[in-house]
Amino acid sequence: MNKPDGKSKGYPGGMRLGEAYVPFQIYGETFDPKTALMYGTLFPDLFRPYRPAHRNQEQ
Amino acid sequence: MYDRTMVEMLKELQAVEFAVYELALFLDTHPADRRAWEDHTRLVNKLKQLRRAFEDRFGPLSLDSESPFPYRYINDPWPWEIQY
Repeated sequence: MNKPDGKSKGYPGGMRLGEAYVPFQIYGETFDPKTALMYGTLFPDLFRPYRPAHRNQEQ
Repeated sequence: MYDRTMVEMLKELQAVEFAVYELALFLDTHPADRRAWEDHTRLVNKLKQLRRAFEDRFGPLSLDSESPFPYRYINDPWPWEIQY
């Protein structure tokens, strides 16, 4: 079986499945504790609720 | 069903405890981040103080909390009985 590459399969940008890059988190503003508990995270950078209706505005 | 101030204090405790855990997890990967460390230290002390204030008034929160006599941990309200 030849070496799988993303191009031949047509994955976007020739990427291969299973490659992920997570930038190193930088400390900064934090939510106050009560808000953080409701949002499920202390860090605004990580708060990204999935809102299908606003899909185009979000990007 | 339960004393409103007790429930409010519980909510505060839960929020501060959550923040402490979040900071602890962040510090796992960023041990030298001074500002995160400062916030963690501040909240840990706040948590201790909140816990003490709560337990002095409403009794033990966990098995390793002191209880007044007679031992009352078993008949305090259980978490699922409390309407937040």
